[in-house]
Amino acid sequence: MPEITGDSIKDRTFDAIVIGSGISGGWSAKELTEKGLKTLLLERGRDVKHIKDYPTTNKLPYEFEHRGEVPLDIQKEAPIVSRCYAFREDTLHFFLKDKEHPYIEQKPFDWIRGYQVGGKSLIWARQTQRWSDFDFEGPARDGFAVDWPIRYKDIAPWYSHVEKFAGISGNRDGLAELPDGEFLPSYPLNAVENYFKEQVNKNYKNRHIISARGAHISKPQQVHFDQGRGQCQNRTLCQRGCPFGGYFSSNASTIPWAEKTGNLTLRPFSVVHSIIYDEQKGKATGVKVIDANTKQEIEFYAKIIFVNAAALNTNLILLNSISKRFPNGLGNDSDLLGKYVAFHNYSSTVSGEYDGMKEFTTDGRNPVGGGYVPRFRNVFKQETDFLRGYAAGFSARRSQDTDSSGFGDALKENLLNPKLGPWRVGSHMMGETIPKATNFVTLDKNLKDAWGIPQLSISVDYDDNDQKMIKDYEDEFSEMFTKAGFTNVKVSRTQKAPGLDIHEMGGVRMGNDPRTSLLNKWNQLHHCKNVFVTDGACMTSTSTQNPSLTYMAFSARAADYAFAELKKGNL
Amino acid sequence: MKRRSAIKSLVIIAGGIAIMPSCSTEPGKASIDLKKININADQEALLAEIAETIIPKNNKPGAKELNLHLFILKMVDDCHNEEDQKAFIEGLNSMDKLAKSKYGSAFAACDPKQKINLLNAISKEEGDAKGATAFLKIAKRRIIQGFMNSKYVMTDLKKYELVPGRYNGYFPAKQA
Repeated sequence: MPEITGDSIKDRTFDAIVIGSGISGGWSAKELTEKGLKTLLLERGRDVKHIKDYPTTNKLPYEFEHRGEVPLDIQKEAPIVSRCYAFREDTLHFFLKDKEHPYIEQKPFDWIRGYQVGGKSLIWARQTQRWSDFDFEGPARDGFAVDWPIRYKDIAPWYSHVEKFAGISGNRDGLAELPDGEFLPSYPLNAVENYFKEQVNKNYKNRHIISARGAHISKPQQVHFDQGRGQCQNRTLCQRGCPFGGYFSSNASTIPWAEKTGNLTLRPFSVVHSIIYDEQKGKATGVKVIDANTKQEIEFYAKIIFVNAAALNTNLILLNSISKRFPNGLGNDSDLLGKYVAFHNYSSTVSGEYDGMKEFTTDGRNPVGGGYVPRFRNVFKQETDFLRGYAAGFSARRSQDTDSSGFGDALKENLLNPKLGPWRVGSHMMGETIPKATNFVTLDKNLKDAWGIPQLSISVDYDDNDQKMIKDYEDEFSEMFTKAGFTNVKVSRTQKAPGLDIHEMGGVRMGNDPRTSLLNKWNQLHHCKNVFVTDGACMTSTSTQNPSLTYMAFSARAADYAFAELKKGNL
Repeated sequence: MKRRSAIKSLVIIAGGIAIMPSCSTEPGKASIDLKKININADQEALLAEIAETIIPKNNKPGAKELNLHLFILKMVDDCHNEEDQKAFIEGLNSMDKLAKSKYGSAFAACDPKQKINLLNAISKEEGDAKGATAFLKIAKRRIIQGFMNSKYVMTDLKKYELVPGRYNGYFPAKQA
């Protein structure tokens, strides 16, 4: 990999710059370098090399000083990320310390960030579902946001492209609302998950329980061996980084692949301040970076720029990219930059018990977690008093009843000899939220971070539609559970602040009309054609799928288009 | 090299993990390095007796041998808030008094049956024993955690698998 040592403009000039090395930036870098473009990949955090920089990956539970718990002093430094399910003693080095990276919460918003090479691709939940036209057509059909400028057919080949390389497990379920992909073998449902699937099939039309689809190599293909990755070993310790490369991350997959082309320059500790716009040329010419350690300002130049800083930081960079032509942020003639931010609503869970199937339990671990329930509300037509709907996770496991009463020899024996209890079942909702102008991010006029960059001010909240949807999920799943013969059915509202879903999207939405959107159908800024946004910021609506797979597909598709346009001399 | 091995032997193994010993050579101090709570050697010894009562040595090692009392201290120091820490120390300090009023001798000097009866009285919040309930709850929770997650249990008794390499959703319960 070339080192950046020289100070000359030539040394700081590339064909392409990619801002951010997370799940979408890794893909942008892979695709651009494979096409032969000299690409600078900027990452604000430290480098994390595959395997070498996974310090906890092979530790046994008793090798953690606090057996996995995060000490209170560390939680105090990171009160927001401490609320994230994946923030534990074995993973905390892949999350930032909130206090070092302040932002303003006009309304409560848990912004979960991982500032390192690979970003949150190291710690994601690895669920991967394609969108269908029921999702892309949603805003136009139901009258919110703006129409998506693409349809399923535009992105389908790119889903295939990224799925084959990343390695996605799943079944070909043949559902119109959740298109099949290029799947490796699925992780089958267990006894009670299958039982529930059959019960739901019997009791409902158009409701399906399928094996969760996930970015796990259940059966490696040559393309995975070529990446140095092997079969998932069912450790379910993924967020420590996987020594087998069993799940997809930028670190295990796209970044080393890009490095092998000889065209990649990876520069960690590079905090992007803004994108440089040239008034004469009428396009972006580079990126202004603050070195995270020295706080020195450095400029890098390129013909095309991919912004993959993660949804809200991409908004921040564009809002902070001020020029005479764009006084309100790059490409922001419509004054919509930062607006129409949306997320996924995870506010409720439904759980229960099942007394049957006691002849079975599970052995080993399921890396994708169990089952998935594709959205069944308002899919084919509007049928409720709220817009859109929710998908859900569903899983079952045999409980262990340990008698931990008393003291002494009896207690010790009981602890070492737990009995198998009933099956416990659980589901969690993943609701679509409606993007609105009133859910937005802006730059604070006064407060800056340690690198002199304005702090992001976030104003995002639930609305009445979300509340109705939560209620519907609770009612429907309680009924589905009860009809299946589950007992002790309990609803639990979690009251999570937006953000903790880690599916924040929008602010730089795609659309056909430059007056009502920022990006065109190629993820290209309408008004600054050599800048592409292919992370969560580009999302016009959120639908209910876990979003990362769609960001990967957008990145690969936009990189292909950008390269073609570059060759034609259009950029 | 000699110095290295000397330092190594000074590390205390509690349930399978090294805990830094106290830097202090002062007599009467706790044997591990604690940042927030103040524990002296007597309190540590008393906690060891209580821990051993909860998980005693029989044909398998008990709490003292696995240094689980030190694990409790480490967790109370790092993972509990001030309120818990205060209740923990107050409860610990009341143990000898409770034992004396009930059985006429300090906790360590009680016979095994008396010790267990006292812990039962505390967990049932009986009379004066109520003052130690919060302490015992924390101690018991942490000792169970430390025991079940100890190297001994996870390697010799209930083997923890770092790399299962399989998933079977229809595993016969009889074989589990």
